[in-house]
Formats: sequence, structure tokens, C-alpha cells
Amino acid sequence: MLTPFEKFVFFILALISAGFTLHGFVTIIRTIRLGRPAPPLKNLPQAFWKAAVTVLLQRTILRTRKLLSVIHMALFFGLITYAFVNLMDVLEGIVPGFDLVYSGKHVPGAPLALVRAYNLISDVMSGFLLFAITVFLVRRFILKDKALTYRENVLLYPKVKAGGPHKDSLIVGVFVIMHVSAHLMSQAFRLAEGPDPWMPLASFLNSISGASQIGVHIAWWVSIGWVMFIIPYLTRSKHSHFFMAPVNLALAKQNPRGQLDPAIPLKVIDGKTFEPGARVITDLAWKRILDAYACVQCNRCQDVCPANFYGRPLSPSALEVNKRYLLKDATFGGHPELLQAPLVEKVISPEAVWSCTTCYACVRICPVGNEPMADIVDIRRRLILEGFELDSGVQSALQSLATNGNWMGKGRRLRGRWAKELEFPIKNAAEEAVEYLWFVGDTASFDERVLPNTRMVARIFHQAGLDFGILYQQESNAGNDVRRVGEEGLFEQLVEQNLAAFGRAQFQRIVTTDPHSFNTLRNEYPQYGGRFEVEHYTMVLLRLLEEGRLTVKQRLSHYLVTYHDPCYLGRYNGVFAAPRKLLERIGVEFHEMPRNCENSFCCGAGGGQIWMGKVPPGERPAENRIREALATLQSYAGNGKKQLFIVACPKDMIMYSDAVKTTGSEGKIEVRDIIQLVAEAVGVVEPVSEAGA
Amino acid sequence: MSGDVMVITEHMEGKFSDVSFELVGKARELAEAFGGESIALVLGGGVDASVFASHATLHVADAALNHFNPEAYARVIEALVKERSPRLVMFGWTVIGMDLAAWLSGRMGVPCVAYAKDVRVENGALIVSSQAYGGKLIAEVSPEGEMAIVACLAGSFPAEAGHGSTQATVIPSPVDLGGLKMKFLEVIKPEAGDVDITTQTKLVAVGRGIGGKENIELAEELAEKLGAVVCASRPVVDAGWLPRTRQVGKSGLKVKPKLYFMLGISGAPEHLEGMKDAELIIAINTDKKAPIFNVAHYGAVADLFEVTEAMLELL
Amino acid sequence: MHIVVAIKHIPSIADELPVRHNNIDFDSVDFVLNEWDEHSIEQAVLIKEAVGGTVTVIGVDVIGELDNALHLALAKGADRAVKIAAEEPGADSHQQAKWLAEAIQNMSPDLILSGVQASNDLDGQLGPLIAAYLDLPYIGGTSAIEVTNGKAMVLKEFPGGIGMRYEIALPFVAGVQAAPKPPRYAPVSKVRQIAQTAKVETIEPGEGESGGLRFLKMAPPVVTGHAEMIQGTAKEIAARIVELLKSRGLL
Repeated sequence: MLTPFEKFVFFILALISAGFTLHGFVTIIRTIRLGRPAPPLKNLPQAFWKAAVTVLLQRTILRTRKLLSVIHMALFFGLITYAFVNLMDVLEGIVPGFDLVYSGKHVPGAPLALVRAYNLISDVMSGFLLFAITVFLVRRFILKDKALTYRENVLLYPKVKAGGPHKDSLIVGVFVIMHVSAHLMSQAFRLAEGPDPWMPLASFLNSISGASQIGVHIAWWVSIGWVMFIIPYLTRSKHSHFFMAPVNLALAKQNPRGQLDPAIPLKVIDGKTFEPGARVITDLAWKRILDAYACVQCNRCQDVCPANFYGRPLSPSALEVNKRYLLKDATFGGHPELLQAPLVEKVISPEAVWSCTTCYACVRICPVGNEPMADIVDIRRRLILEGFELDSGVQSALQSLATNGNWMGKGRRLRGRWAKELEFPIKNAAEEAVEYLWFVGDTASFDERVLPNTRMVARIFHQAGLDFGILYQQESNAGNDVRRVGEEGLFEQLVEQNLAAFGRAQFQRIVTTDPHSFNTLRNEYPQYGGRFEVEHYTMVLLRLLEEGRLTVKQRLSHYLVTYHDPCYLGRYNGVFAAPRKLLERIGVEFHEMPRNCENSFCCGAGGGQIWMGKVPPGERPAENRIREALATLQSYAGNGKKQLFIVACPKDMIMYSDAVKTTGSEGKIEVRDIIQLVAEAVGVVEPVSEAGA
Repeated sequence: MSGDVMVITEHMEGKFSDVSFELVGKARELAEAFGGESIALVLGGGVDASVFASHATLHVADAALNHFNPEAYARVIEALVKERSPRLVMFGWTVIGMDLAAWLSGRMGVPCVAYAKDVRVENGALIVSSQAYGGKLIAEVSPEGEMAIVACLAGSFPAEAGHGSTQATVIPSPVDLGGLKMKFLEVIKPEAGDVDITTQTKLVAVGRGIGGKENIELAEELAEKLGAVVCASRPVVDAGWLPRTRQVGKSGLKVKPKLYFMLGISGAPEHLEGMKDAELIIAINTDKKAPIFNVAHYGAVADLFEVTEAMLELL
Repeated sequence: MHIVVAIKHIPSIADELPVRHNNIDFDSVDFVLNEWDEHSIEQAVLIKEAVGGTVTVIGVDVIGELDNALHLALAKGADRAVKIAAEEPGADSHQQAKWLAEAIQNMSPDLILSGVQASNDLDGQLGPLIAAYLDLPYIGGTSAIEVTNGKAMVLKEFPGGIGMRYEIALPFVAGVQAAPKPPRYAPVSKVRQIAQTAKVETIEPGEGESGGLRFLKMAPPVVTGHAEMIQGTAKEIAARIVELLKSRGLL
């Protein structure tokens, strides 16, 4: 079809385009390789296969924003189809006589059915593509969907602030429209023999434009010319997403969610030594750099981020976008010195770094397997090492943890004091063998508001004849939040203290009342040689009921309840069933909140937030959650049942009791630990003396 | 060795502090028990020294002593104590006395009791109650030897007994006050504009329990609603969360408001010294064993933020 | 410029304090660094950062666990750590000051800092006692110390936000009330690294001499009164307080 001169121009342009594309990819790969070693990946072929299936089924993206996800699907399959379409277009251009219209009847020996299918699919997909891209462009530029913007207080890289990502979207949007339209037109202009039923759209256009050889040439050049421009451009824009997202998914975290990557890479290359944590972008693991190229700024992470909800200057998506722009300027832009720029100046503000609750919602929701939370923890690690002036509350908590093993500034010896007020003694696991070592945790050991629940757990264990003990003053904070606030050294110290205490004790498994301790004991202690079977108390309680060691004497059908999944129990460790089964056995009327299980919304206390002195204004995550619970239960109310918000975490008890008060919901809903319901159901009561104290 | 009891008085801007009168009153009683005299020692000019009920008042009116100079004071006191050999030397456990008492003890090689809450003579022996360990324990000790130094917490004794009109005897400085290593330069008054918490009728006091500088705002909001002003215990000020002018306690100011509303203050003796005379003391603390509940009129074991926020809603 | 900081390891008052034989039952309490020592260490490091020099931290190791506190000081910027291995938990301030003064004398310090007080200073504080033994002047209650040309500008805190400024020729002893900045946080990894590499010098205690106090009795204070406790939820408490204030004409 093309004239020899046109072919010559095409080959030159194709060469240039390929050159720029290659340069783009080489640059990206080189940049990714500047990152530190990441934890080793296992079974890569399997991981890639899994990622391919995930991508083809659009599994991760369909988790939320269902309608938009379907449209994304159209775009995705449209573009996949178009990769093939472009190949055919090129062949039509350069192979004389290669013409697929009219089912390829002009091509000797062409498989008729196959060509028809191709024509139909490419024709219909063109329509889908045009529709999908129009929806996205309308959403971004006409409806100006807020979900695609950032809060005022979020640090943005200058080019991001100036609308760089929007420009990218516009360019790609215009490309898709022009390219697809041009392709359709080139097909339409070819239909010299009237409509082709296998090409309905092209035929329709042909009915308007008629056939034209010049038209074919022009449309072909517009269509393919755009491709030769856009492919190298993609490598330099946020649409590197097209190539990098599937790769990133395949290389996503394989270790347990609850296991943070070490502050210093375990793998050392060429004897290179690393400072713990991240100051500049190349201090991040290579996978964290890859994250930036995979992110297309869909902002789903921002939607689920409790800190962002609370008006804090944190947007996980902005972090990734900023990272990519910084990398682009440092590489394509010729400013390598930017690779040495502190992350807290260029990509995320210190306030944002310190407002993360490490709830994992951003990582869980990310369709492309990014881990912005991991960056934040690494940045915290270095800030602490470099003497960043900490929030005074965090500093005193850490100091107390270092000296007392708890963050409340209480003497170590007072840790087991709560047990003295029980009617029976609790074994000291450091002195006599027990089956269950109960790891109590700080909040449950010291906080006056939680102590009644702690004692109730003891009473029920006692009632069930469970052979259990505690470590009294030998227990230290497990370190989950210490690690997530970035104090890796203190975490290690606490791990060592606890492992030493465990070593002195004889037990078969650990049960804990604290999801945060549960997480680190289960997922992180093994790395330090502490391999134990660790259970959350809801798991043990359920088993005690199932084995008949506890019996429900009274079904609590007079309660209308909902249940909040603690991040570190649910999203991190997948313990969703045990508390729900408990509630079922107890016989309460139970209803899920819209955000449940994996989608549970953080109470706002994790990752050290509970230590922060500062209480910023605005609706707190926990308050929003209480409102969600009230709205959930409202539709079932009216039968006079008492409404309860059930928690299974001491921190939640505090956070949500506060939130009930601050939202003025007292009398409407009450926060209870699941243990209180179990106690009522199995008929264990608090002695009168304590209730009055 | 005499049975005299010497009191080192303190004054600032021409006024003696309450503790000076408290000590003089007590010194009189003790001197009588020892069969000696009570001697008030006044250092520095610009003050009327004839205001004590002591048996005698010595006044070293040297201008070098007008402003407190720890070195000059210490040298003069050392010389006079050596000269007079009193049975007991009494200081206030104050920012002035704290610079002098232990130093003198070290120089003289005689015992010193700090944090003294009570001093008495039993069968000729000196017995001192000291409120150490943050007020968690009271130690009763007996200083060995023929001379002792005590540094008493302010507010331990009635001040009235110390007021009198004993004519002061002006004496020259027993030591040369030239060539000191310490030179007094200037007094720095608190920045104008900040409130004087001692004249306020209502105070909201915050302690370590407030958690951080960031939360002071909440207390300020409450104070505003109550028509009060925010003050604080020592740790809060040391941490830089509020200016020194807002500090209540031994090393801060003594206040006597109609309402003293305490948020997260456990009640260390240092703080109690500055506020125990308030007319109505209400304390919120999460520790039900906090000593403040032994002093407050009303108390509640609760989270200070919750109570504050609940009050803000009501006001 | 050589700054020596004398620190004190004291029973933690965060715990209950059991009593035995008219004194603290030292076997049943945890020992911690005196809280004002954190300020004196910070002050010393700030001076060092401003004018250079070395900071030596020294303390009496009364129960054999002072290393932690010394490592922490090193992590915060002190250069040298010395402990006097006395292992006498009941050693009073006089005794400790005597040992410390002896050791410090050999260090030819330009400035000696200590915490302004400690909760167990029954017989007085370390600072003034060390000054007395070394025949140096002492100034306590400082909130800022700046060193220039062999002299120090010292701000001493008085009640009510009043400060007095002094110019003091080195050497002298200062009891630090507060450093100009809140004491910095020492990351544990740094402390642990130091614990592995740094050497704490050990000095055997000399003769020493106690402060001459005979302990007759030690007991928690007799509680004379108790607040009327308001029970209930925060809301109920707040309501009761507001009611109380109204009834007293305070609102």
C-alpha cells in the first residue's frame, strides 16, 4: 500500500521510535537497579503466571470502584487488541497486497474465518476503546473527579503540582482517540466495495466518507505515526504503568504481610554496606523504585488511607507519583543530583511520614502490587537514626519502652500487677510450665480502661481450665509498633528481651490479647529465631467453645452488634472467621459494616499513632467508623435490642470508646470487647468488689 | 559548739520570701530546745532586715550580695558558720537554698538533710523528716555530729511565727568579695505580655499527662471557656511546652486561686508546694493511686482528654 | 574544653518503693538515670557542639547496671564514659560526690555539670557537694550555659519565669535544671552499637565518707485526706464538674 518513499520514511521513523523506546526501557531498568537489594523472590515463573492471570482477569483492580474497573477492562483489552491491530496495520502498509478488509479475500490463501474474527474484534474493540477513553477523559477533565486530586496539604513534586499527571492523561487520551479513529478511518477508506458486515464501525464510517486511496494513506500515517510517538513517550510518563504494572504484580511481596522488610538488606552485594532505612530514593529497595513506574495514580490507596481521611498530609499515591517524577527528572531530565535529594524534601513531607498508621490498606488495595507503606517505614527508620526531632509523645513512649519495656512510663515490675486483683493466682510462666503462654501486651497490662477486660480473659481461661500463665515483669512490649514507627534498634532489643523471657519459660503455644503483638510474634519473631505457635484470644476462645470446655449458658440475642476487624488481626493475618464464629455461637444479632474484613477501616492508632502527642482537628478515623457502625445497625434497629460495637483489640477499646463519646453516640451504641460478650454468654461475672472499685 | 540555729533568709526585689519567715519561726522553737538562739542571716542590701522574730538578725549589707550570687553567698555563709558554730543551719529547699546547703555541708564536713518537711528535737537529738523519692516516702533521719544543715521545703511551717521586728545588726562581710569567679549580670524579667498566674482566680493546670506540646491547645481551649489561664507542673515547662512564667510549684510560682483544675498532674511535692492552698482543687488523673488525690478536694480517675472534651461540649 | 557530667543512678519512682531496714529495699527496685541528668548531658553536648571539646560522663555504679545509662550518654554525643564501681546501692550523695570528686580532679575539667537534683538526694545533691570537695563555686537551676573564651554565660531560673544571668570563670560546677533544648532521642541501634564497641572506663572507689545521716524510719506518707472521687463516664464526670463549678459561683 505504501509508496517506496513512504516505506523509507516509515522505516526511519520506526527506527528512531524503537531507539527512544529502547533508551526509555534501559533507563528505567537501570534506575530500578540503583535500588537496594530486596528480599529474595521465590518461584518466579509461577509468580509471573499468577500475575498474568490476575492481569487478564483484572482481579486486583476489580476489588473496588467496580464500574470504573469494568471500563478499565475495556481499555485494557482494547489496547491489547490494538497491539495486534497495529501489527496488522503495519503489514498492510508495507506488504504489497496485504489487505484484510472483506475477510481478506484479496489475500491469496488467507484463513477466512480467522480474518473475519480479527476484523470484527478489532472493529468492536475500537468502539470500546473510544468509549472507555472518553469516559476516563470526561471523568478527569469535565467531571473533575475528586478521587484523582490531592489534598492541598499533600507535598507534591513541582511538576506534579503543575499538573504533569493530567498532561500525561490528556496526551494518552488524545492519542487513543486519534489513533483509534485514524485506524477506523483507514479501514473505512479501504472499503471501496461497500460495507463489510464484519467491520460494522468501519462500514458505518465508510457510508459517510466513502472510499479513498489518499484517505487510506493519511489515516494510516496518523494512526501509525501516533504509535511511533507514543511508545517511547509511554516510557517517560505515568503510563509506564502499561508495561511495568504486570511486572510489578509478578514481583510483589511474597513474605507475610505482617513481616516488614529489614532496615538493612540482608543480601550484601560486593561487600557494600548500607545505612538502615532510606534518606534518598536509592536507599529504597529496587522494588520500591519499580513501584513508582507501575503506579498510574488511580488513587485507590488514597481512598482507603485513614490518615488521608483524617486530613493529614499523606497520600500514598502522591508518594509514588512524586517518586516517579523525581526519577524522571534525575534520568531523562539529566539531573542525577536529584537521586541524592532527601525523600522528605521531594516526595513526602515529614508530617505525612509520621501520620501513617501502617494499616496496610494502601498496599492491600493497590491493583499493581505497590507498597508505599514500606517506603514510609524506611524513611522513618532513617529519620530516627539521624536525630529528627520526634513528636514529644513518640519520644517519651520510645524512651519508656527502652527503659521500662512499656510505653506508658510504668515500672517494669508493675506489669503483672493487674493479676493481683483476681480471685485466683495466675501462674508465672517463667517459673512453672504452662500450656499457653499468655502474652498480655502493654495496653491490656496497664490501661485502667482495659484492665477489666484483661481480668475477664483471665477468668474465662480459668473457668475453662486452660493451663496458662503470664510472664509478669519479664514480658516486654512485643515491638510491633516500635518497628513500624521506625525504631528498628529498639524493636530488636525488645525482641531479644522477649525471646530471653520465652527461653526461661516452658510453654507449648502463645496466646495474645493484642493483635499488634500477635502480628509481630507470628510473622517477625521467627526471623529472630523465635518460632512459636501464636494465637489470638478469639481463636482460643472459639476452640474452647467448640471443645465444650466453655458452654454458652445464655444466648445473647438481645444484642444487635457489628464487629470491627483490627488491621493487625484481619488484613494482616487473615483472622476473620474466629471472632465471627464466636459471635455466632454467642447468639447475638450480627451485621457487617460495609467496610469489613480485608476492607476494614483502621481505628487510627497503629504504627505509633497512639503515642503521638498531637491530636489534629477533623473527623478522626475512629469517629467515622462509629458513624458507619451506627448507619449499619440503624436499618436493623427498632426491636429494642441494645446496639454494640464489638472489638477484639485493647487499642480499639480505647479508640472507639473515645469516638463514641466524641461523636455524641453514647446511649446509641456501646463499645465492648468480645470477651465481655463471651463472659456474659458463658456466665462469668466480675466479682462485686471490683465492679464497685 | 553553741545551741544556736541559724537561718539563711532569702529575698528578692526587697521582699523576703515566705519560707524565710517559716524557717525563722521554726528556728526559734528549735533554738529554745537546744538552749541557744535563733539567728536570721540576711545577705545583701536594699532590704529591711528587721522583720523577723529571731533572737538575733545579722545583716551583711554588702552590695555584692544584693542580687543572689551563689559563690558570694556561699563564701559569706561558710565564714559566718565557721565563726559562730551553730547547732543547726537552716535553708529553704529553694532555688537559692539548693545552691548553698549541700555545698556548705561538703565544705564543713557536717551532715545535710534536704527535702526536709519537719525538724524536731527529741531527747536532745535532732530528728528531720525528709520527703524524698518524689514524695513517695518520708524518711526520718538523725544527722550525726554537733552541727547539721537542713534544707526545708517551703510551706512546711507556719510563717506567722517568723514575723517580728528584731533589730538587725549590720556586720561587715567576713570574706573579701572581690575577685569572685561568678559575676551577676542581670535579671531577666519574664516577657511582658504574658499573664501573671499568681493573680488569677482560676487556673487550669496541666502535667506530664498532657502528653505533648501539641495538646496544650486543648487545655487552653478549656481554660478560655472557664475564664481561666493555663499553668503547668515542672516537667511540662522543662520540656518547653509552656513558658517558665506558667510554672507552679517550688521552682515555679506559688498560687492561691479560687479554682485549681488539674489535668494529668500526679502531685509531686514540688508541685503541691505551689498550689495546695487553692480554694477548690479538682484533679483528673488516670492513676487512681496518684498522690494528688490526697490533696485535691474532688478527683476523678479518667482520661483527661475525654473529660476536657466532654466539658468543652457542656460549656 | 573538657566537660565532665556527673550522673546519678537512682531508684525508679515509677514503681512502688518497698522499704526494708529503714531504707529502700534496693533489691526490689529498678534503677534509672536521674531525670535531670538527661538535661545535664544534653547541655554538655550542646556546649560541645557549639565550641568543641570533649564530654566525659561519670557516675557511681551503685548496683552494677550503670553501663546502659553511660552507653546512652555516649550515643547522645558524649565522648568518654567512666564508672566508679562501688556497687553500694545505699551510697548517699556525700559518698558518691566524694568518689566522683576524686576521679574528676584527675580529669582537669573546664566545666562540671550535674542534674540540679535527684529524688533520692536526702543528704543534698551531687553538684554542690562535688564543688565543695573540689573547692569550686556551684550554681544550680541553670537553663542555659554558653561558653566563650574561658568564661561561661549562665542563665539561672528563678520562680515565676524570672531568670538571672551570670558570667562565671571556668572551671565551676553547675546543676542543670533544663537544657535549652529538650534532651535528644538516642536511637537504640546506636546505643547498642556503642554498647558493643565503646569502652566504659572503670575506677575503683576510694575511701568515701557518708553524709552522716542515721535512718530512723522510712515509710509512705500518712494520708490525711482524700479527694471526693467523682465516678462515671467522662461525660458524667464533666457534667458533675461543671455543676460543681456553677454551684460555687465559678462559672
